[in-house]
Amino acid sequence: MAWIVENRRTQVVEKRETPYLTADMKIDLANRYFPRYPTKRAVLLPALHAVQHQYGWIPTQAMEELGEFLGLQPAEVMDTATFYEEYWLKPKGKYLVAVCRSLACELCGSTELTKHLKKKLNIEPAETTADGKFTLVEYECLGSCGTAPAALCNDVLHENINPESFGHWLDTLPEDPHEYHDSSVTWDETASAH
Amino acid sequence: MPFTEPVLLKRINADPAKRKLHFYDDYVATGGYKGLEAALQMAPADIIKTTIDSGLRGRGGAGFSAGQKWSFIPKEKRGPHYLCVNADESEPGTFKDRYLIDYDPHQMLEGIAIACIATQCDIAYIFIRGEYHRQAKVLEHAIKEAYEHGIFGPQGIKGSATKLECYVHKGAGAYICGEETGLLEALEGKRGWPRNKPPFPAIAGAFAKPTVINNVETLAAVPHIIERGPIEGPRWFKSMGTPSSPGPKLYGMSGHVNSPGVYEDELGITLEHAIKLAGGMKGGAYKASICGGISMGVLGTNQLDIKLDFDDVRFRGGCLGLGTAGMIVMNEHTDMVLALRNCVRFYAHESCGQCTPCREGSAWMRKILDRIVDGGGRAQDLEMLLELEKTMGIMPGTTICGLADGTAWATRTFINKFYDEFAAKCPETPVPQFSLKRGSLNVLQPMGSNTR
Repeated sequence: MAWIVENRRTQVVEKRETPYLTADMKIDLANRYFPRYPTKRAVLLPALHAVQHQYGWIPTQAMEELGEFLGLQPAEVMDTATFYEEYWLKPKGKYLVAVCRSLACELCGSTELTKHLKKKLNIEPAETTADGKFTLVEYECLGSCGTAPAALCNDVLHENINPESFGHWLDTLPEDPHEYHDSSVTWDETASAH
Repeated sequence: MPFTEPVLLKRINADPAKRKLHFYDDYVATGGYKGLEAALQMAPADIIKTTIDSGLRGRGGAGFSAGQKWSFIPKEKRGPHYLCVNADESEPGTFKDRYLIDYDPHQMLEGIAIACIATQCDIAYIFIRGEYHRQAKVLEHAIKEAYEHGIFGPQGIKGSATKLECYVHKGAGAYICGEETGLLEALEGKRGWPRNKPPFPAIAGAFAKPTVINNVETLAAVPHIIERGPIEGPRWFKSMGTPSSPGPKLYGMSGHVNSPGVYEDELGITLEHAIKLAGGMKGGAYKASICGGISMGVLGTNQLDIKLDFDDVRFRGGCLGLGTAGMIVMNEHTDMVLALRNCVRFYAHESCGQCTPCREGSAWMRKILDRIVDGGGRAQDLEMLLELEKTMGIMPGTTICGLADGTAWATRTFINKFYDEFAAKCPETPVPQFSLKRGSLNVLQPMGSNTR
C-alpha cells in the first residue's frame, strides 16, 4: 500500500565500505538519463530501477548515495522510493513470482494459482523461501485480463497459467536470475536508443 | 461507410498464431508513416482543427476531445513543451494499450510525432507502467529505429524544422500514476500524488511547462485521420460510431467469455454484440459485465442492449462512463459480493493516501466487505457502504483525483443492481432511504455453484 509510512526514527542504517552506486553505474546513469530530463530529480525513478536491477533490492545506503549523486536529501529519495510498490526496500528472493489477483484473473482462477504456489513453495505471499530462491507476492492487475490467470516471474509475464505445470516449471529455473530472459525478446535489447 | 475493416488493428492478425510484431520495415511496408508525411505538409493549427473535426475523444477513460486538448496548449512558445504518453495502463480489465505496443509500436510513435508537430512539443515521454517489461523493451527498440530513420532526433522530423526527442520512462507499480497529474509527479521523480487543478497540465504540467497527456490508443488513431486529409479524414472517422462518439474502438474482452482478447469495432455496438465478438459466454448465462475498467461500475443482467459509447453507458447504463472499454464479463455463477470485494480491495490498495475520504473510505469499505464475505454481514452494512460511497470523490468534491469516484461507482452500481444478492448476505437489511434508483434486476440467479 502506497500510503503506509513506517517509523524510521530508530532505524539504524547498515553500512558497508564498498558503495552500492558504483562509478560505472554513475557514468551509465549520467550518460543515459541526464540529457533526457530538465531536472536531476527526474532521473530518480530510472536510477532506483538500476540499483534494484543490480542488487535485487534497494538498500538504504544506496538511497543515501543516490541522494548525493542527484543532489537530493536522503529523505527525498526515500520519500519517492517508499511510494512505489515495485521497489524492494528489503532483500527478496532471486525470483519474484507475482500473481495477478484482480477481478478478471480472480474469475479465471488466480485464487487456485496462489493457493497452489503457496503450497508448493511453502510460503505465504510476501515471504521468501528458505533457500532464498523465490519470493511470492500478489499484485494488482498486470494488464493480462484477456489471458488470465497471469503472473510475472521477474521481468517475464506468463499467461493462461495452469497452476500444476507452472509449479513444475519453477523448478527448472537457473540458479542465477540474470540468466533468465524473456524468450519473446528476439532483438538486441542492450543497445541503447541514444 | 460503417466499420468494415480493422483500423488500429489492421496489422494485427485476429489469429493469435499469425500475429507478429511489426518493427519499422514492416510498418512502412504496410503503409506506415503516411500520416506523418501528410502532417508535415500541414500547419499545426490545421492538424488540431482536423482532429477536432474528426470528433476523436480520448481513449484513456475520460473521453475528452483530443483535438480540444491540444488546442489548450499556448500557441506562443515561451519555453519547451512536453508530450506525455499515458501507457500506465493499470485499470483492471484493460489491456488494449499493451496489445497495440506488443504488435504495432510504430503506429503510436507516428501519432506521437504528429501530436508533437501540432502542439510544438520538444520532448515526448512515454510513461509506461513498471510491470510492462517486454513492452518497454519493444518501445525502446522501436524508438531506436525511429531515430535511425530520421523521425526523432536533432535533425528534425524527416528533415523539417520541428525537432523531437522521445524517451521511455518506466513507472514502478502504482495505479495512481495513470492519473495525468500523478503521472507528471512520477515523471519528475516524486511520489505519484495527483496535483490540484488548476493549473491544468496544458499550462503548467511536466516541469511546470505546457504539457499534453494522451493515451496510447488515442495517439494510435491520429495517423489514420491525418493521413486522409483535413476533409476526408474527419468524414471517414465520423462514418463510424455514433454522432457523439465517432470512430473505431478497441474493446478488451475478458472474464467468462470463450475467446477473451482485444476486439476492434465501431463505438456504439451493444454489449451483446461485444460478447458475441468474444465468442459468447463461457460456463453459464450472462449475469453482469464491468464496462470499461472497474472504476466505471457494472452493467446489470438486463442491460445487454446498452450501446457501448461514451454516452449511452452513462445515461442509460447507469455507470460512470465507457472508460477504457475493458469489459470483464461475468456469468450466472459469479458471486457479486466477492466480485465487489475484489474491486474495493484494489482501491484500498491503490489509494495514494493524499485525501482522507479516499484513503480511509476505501479501507473501511474493504473491511466491511471482508466481513460480509466472511459471513458476518450485518443489517446496517449496506447502508454504511452506500453512505460511504456518497462522501468520496471529485463529484461530491472531497478528493483531488478521480480514484475515489471509481471506488464509489463500483460500489454503487454493484449494490444497486444486485441489491438482493447483497441483502441476502446482510440479514434484516432495511431498504436504504438514500439509495440511488435501484437497478432493475428481474432475474436472480441461484447462488452457491461458484465455478471459481
